[in-house]
Amino acid sequence: MKCIQYAGPVLAIGFAWSAFAAEARPVSYPGGWTAMQKNNGDFSSLHLHYSPTFRDSIGLYSERNWLGDWHFTGVQYNRLVKRWNRPNMQANLYVKAGAGQADPFRDGADVDVAGFVGVAADWETRRWFVSYEGRAYDLGFTQDARQAARIGVAPYIGDFGDLHTWLMLQVDNRPEAETPTTVTPLVRLFYDVQMLEIGYTPETEELMLNWIVRF
Amino acid sequence: MKHIWIALAATTLAAITPSAMAETDPQSGTTISAQTLVTAKVNGMVCDFCARAVTKVFGKEAAVENVHVDLDKGEIHVTLKSGAELSDERVASLVKKSGYDLVSIARDVA
Repeated sequence: MKCIQYAGPVLAIGFAWSAFAAEARPVSYPGGWTAMQKNNGDFSSLHLHYSPTFRDSIGLYSERNWLGDWHFTGVQYNRLVKRWNRPNMQANLYVKAGAGQADPFRDGADVDVAGFVGVAADWETRRWFVSYEGRAYDLGFTQDARQAARIGVAPYIGDFGDLHTWLMLQVDNRPEAETPTTVTPLVRLFYDVQMLEIGYTPETEELMLNWIVRF
Repeated sequence: MKHIWIALAATTLAAITPSAMAETDPQSGTTISAQTLVTAKVNGMVCDFCARAVTKVFGKEAAVENVHVDLDKGEIHVTLKSGAELSDERVASLVKKSGYDLVSIARDVA
């Protein structure tokens, strides 16, 4: 249990240079591993998962939620429910579920059994991108929910292997936050198996910096 | 005369066998075996980051020497190792594993 208590500060240090984003695709190719990290002023998270098939992934999820003063640590399963492949576009529908424990790190309450469920969807062409994610938590001592949507455009169409750039706008809704709805302009860059996102939320004056690595 | 006919027959036989597809490098003088190029046209391949799955999945195949993705055309270009084979059924399976839908398969010999 002591290790779990120390995990929070360690993760927090690791997250300090990062920021948040709507969830990118939570499954990979069969046999692929993915590390996904995101952070904002309200929460920081790290998701490390393995995909046995292109439809499933399972892994560890840890979230330090600054807004609700809790830390969730557990196992997360992601499932690609439906994929629409067309000549010049792809769309996806995912469900997610996590189970573990939540630690209310500031009020001294006991660690509790916790879980969450989520849904995510995206649609993209080589020029346009739209996504949505909603997530609800039951942490035992409290409940939480949030949702985010994105629209993006690629200023140029790169070839396979090029550095790809997307200009995006993310709208977040967190009912418990002091500013429940925020808009974040961001830049998404990806090259090879690395993705980086940098943005800024004017309402909360928070920097955004996310990364994903597949291996 | 008999030797000429035998030579002609041997030449003809060589021309219709797979080894006839081999070429000789004029500089090194070594023989280069023919390679099969498989082109799989797929639907849904619009993202470079996600299409990395293609290179990973196809790259694990023993028969595959090189994989190239053409996002503009929605095509996967697979170069097979000399003498190696990759059936259409296997290509279809690998495309599905990569998360895309196969439209067609074409083959060329280089």
